[in-house]
Amino acid sequence: MEQLTSSLAPPRSSPKSSAPSSTQQVAGSVAKRLSNELMTLMMSSSPGISAFPKHDGNLFEWVGTIEGPSETIYAGLTFKISISFPSNYPYVAPTIKFDTPCYHPNVDITGGAICLDILQDKWSAVYSVQTILLSLQSLLGEPNNASPLNPDAATLWDKPSDFKTQLMKYYRPVSDST
Amino acid sequence: MATDALRSQVATKWQESFHRLNSDAPGISGLMNFSEAWAISTQYLYPWDINNAFVGANGRPFGKDLDAARPAFNLVNHSRRLPALLEIFLDDMRQNFYLIENEINQYMERYEASQETAELELLIAKLMEWYKSWAPPQELGSTVFSSYTLNFQTRLFSALPPSFAHGFKTLCARLLSPPADDLEETWDPNIYAELWKDFEVLGLIDRYESIIASVGYEFIEDHVLSRCTGEWGKPMLEELRVWMSEKVVPWMLHVYARGASNAEEARSMLQGVGSRFDFHINKTLCDLRTREIFDIIIDFPDSMGALQDLRDCLQRVDQRSNLVKSLRKSNQKRLLHPGADTKLILQQYVATIKCLRIVDPPGVLLFKVADPIRRYLSIVANLVGDDDGGDSLVDENEPIQPLQQPELEDYTDPSWEPEPVDAGPEFRTNKPSDIISTLVSIYDSKDLFVKELQVLLAQRLLLITKENSDRVERERKNVEILKIRFGEAALQVCEVMLKDMTDSKRIDGHVQSQKDSVVHPTIISRHFWPSLEASDLAMPGQFKTLQDEYAHEFSVFKPDKKLKWLPHLGTVQLELELEDRTVEVDVPPLEAAFIELFADQTVWILDDLISSVGSVDRSSAIKALSTWVDHGVLKEDPENTFRLLERAEEPSESTVRERDLAALPASEMDAPPLSVTQQQQADQMRVYWKFIEGMLTNLEKLPLDRIQSMLRFAPGYNQSIEQLSGFMEAAKREGLVVVRDGIWRLNK
Repeated sequence: MEQLTSSLAPPRSSPKSSAPSSTQQVAGSVAKRLSNELMTLMMSSSPGISAFPKHDGNLFEWVGTIEGPSETIYAGLTFKISISFPSNYPYVAPTIKFDTPCYHPNVDITGGAICLDILQDKWSAVYSVQTILLSLQSLLGEPNNASPLNPDAATLWDKPSDFKTQLMKYYRPVSDST
Repeated sequence: MATDALRSQVATKWQESFHRLNSDAPGISGLMNFSEAWAISTQYLYPWDINNAFVGANGRPFGKDLDAARPAFNLVNHSRRLPALLEIFLDDMRQNFYLIENEINQYMERYEASQETAELELLIAKLMEWYKSWAPPQELGSTVFSSYTLNFQTRLFSALPPSFAHGFKTLCARLLSPPADDLEETWDPNIYAELWKDFEVLGLIDRYESIIASVGYEFIEDHVLSRCTGEWGKPMLEELRVWMSEKVVPWMLHVYARGASNAEEARSMLQGVGSRFDFHINKTLCDLRTREIFDIIIDFPDSMGALQDLRDCLQRVDQRSNLVKSLRKSNQKRLLHPGADTKLILQQYVATIKCLRIVDPPGVLLFKVADPIRRYLSIVANLVGDDDGGDSLVDENEPIQPLQQPELEDYTDPSWEPEPVDAGPEFRTNKPSDIISTLVSIYDSKDLFVKELQVLLAQRLLLITKENSDRVERERKNVEILKIRFGEAALQVCEVMLKDMTDSKRIDGHVQSQKDSVVHPTIISRHFWPSLEASDLAMPGQFKTLQDEYAHEFSVFKPDKKLKWLPHLGTVQLELELEDRTVEVDVPPLEAAFIELFADQTVWILDDLISSVGSVDRSSAIKALSTWVDHGVLKEDPENTFRLLERAEEPSESTVRERDLAALPASEMDAPPLSVTQQQQADQMRVYWKFIEGMLTNLEKLPLDRIQSMLRFAPGYNQSIEQLSGFMEAAKREGLVVVRDGIWRLNK
């Protein structure tokens, strides 16, 4: 619900705005910060992670892409996530969920919600989209089985072949999902 | 239906009045006396026509004998009939005031015809005469007198025509300003004291107070403008204040401190108006300096006085926004136009910084004014200091500080002050900073600035030849200064570049000691220098040999390193021995390469020449060859065929050369060793590509128009959709993207 409201009412910006130079209309420091983060992310070229605003004129809703790290069970798979920034970002963490079904101990397989400390109580304003994406990428290979959102996956983690079967059962390649 | 009671009451009153008027005199003789006294009194007071008076035997106007009238007044007063007498008198005055009106009209007609304020002075004098003649004697008491004065003034004001106000202003102005033929110093405002007293008596000062004040204001304005316009050398404010206390205050005493019994009282009466006048001095001076500000800045530091005035005035007068507006406007008009040299703009900008820091130490004004200049300037070129000086950015008297990072304000600082009210939300510096910090703030980030600096330094270092190698030291000094501001780390690359220069010299010294060579290379560390324009130029003939020999010696000296030549950079000193003459020139390498080819073969066609020196673009080749045509060494005949002139020829018509030069794009004429703009464009395109890649990675597939609109997230994106289309097509040829039905996606 929180995610819904924040996406319905991004501050100081109009999601329907299609006027030219709409990035400038999204005034305010939050937009500026997001704009800087986008620039940094675009120029950093970290392999396997990426994100971009969904619509022009709205910097508060992004789509992210995470490739499974090599030498993990997720290698070769690509996951889409949606990132929704609150109006008081970066003082409050963005809301992030998996759009691609992700069979993982810390990810809710149906809703896509993620259990990651830095997205909840450990959030700090020094984190950025890039650090979140990197954390998510490493979370894929190193789940926190102590606090699972998906207890089945947590149990199966030690049995890679069974895990992989479940993973692939739920997984849908990106190009099919769009 | 009068009752007895009423009857008796009336009778009592009647008796009372009778007794009062009759004053206990026998019969009605008291009444008779009173009647006579009343007649004398009214006769005495009657407002008479002073121009046509009946003159009595005693030489005074008829019935105007105060000695005779005095007992009558006493009697009237004693009978308590004074109020009635006053009433009668005022009514007579009303009826006779037309006499004065006529008089006023006559004088005003004359004034309007001649515009001579002397007429007004006469009128005032005449009015005083009327006033005094009609005035009731002191014996009747102050109530009667003040009623008379009030009545007289009221009637006078309604009788004065509108043109009087204007005339009165002119008159006041004349009274205030010293006579033209008189020296200002000897002028004494007290000479008109009597006249001012008359004004006061007639109530004109109260009535026309605002007009008199405006006379004062205009007087101040005239003086300030005539005294201070263009006088910027020393602060004028103090002098103006002295002038005011000497010349204006005495005048003000008449106007505003009338009736003051002592100096103390006068001072307190003058306080309000004095502060208004002082404000007006400030405002006038402030407005003047605001109008002049652009030239004041040009004159800096000779205009120090004006700036101090401006600072002091601004504290008193809230005209800051006007100053900003004025300066921005004149900057726009006089500075930021295509005709102005960048260096001039820069000098003015630096002067602006210095000036506004005097006027407004917190820097808010500067921030507001500098903004348009910031946008206009591309400034680094001048920052590192040109040979021929100009205004030095590095002020040796100024303590060098590290570049200021945005930081939280320290509210515990006892000298903390809030930002001025006109500081906008985007006002950046909260502390006054030095000039380089302000300059650097033109660039949005420090990184960008440092990068620009590197490119520039590279260009300058590569232009250094053996003869002016001392310039390395100068560059080093600059870098050292900048290092204090940007930090060691940021300028490390520049440091390496400078080290390369000294190393080159050292290595060259060693190589030369092993084997003499005319080649003196600058050996640069590729990773630390901005990418240099690649070239496929291959030096032919003896140059090749020289290079190879040098490279060999170098590899002996530094076995782990290999020289990769950038033969297109540098200069070659040539001595051409021709049959009839010797030509000595310093030329770029390409020129040298071409002429070398002519040593073996005297006629070449252009395409062969180009292919013999590796691969160079045609326009550069033509330019190089025309250098020789200029020197009369080669001749183009026919087109695209070049022949060596062993014997000098009379320079034929130079049409060929001109045509070739005209055909060259302007940028090729003096192309720098590495093209900053091109490189920047390439950098920009790299940034845009990252964004396109980013959006296609995440959004999978997009039509061209959406890519275009999404690219607005990239800072500074300004390409048209046609340019983007061309760019995408190029990316497609590179195999980076694919397109189907107008929808673009990444090629995975």
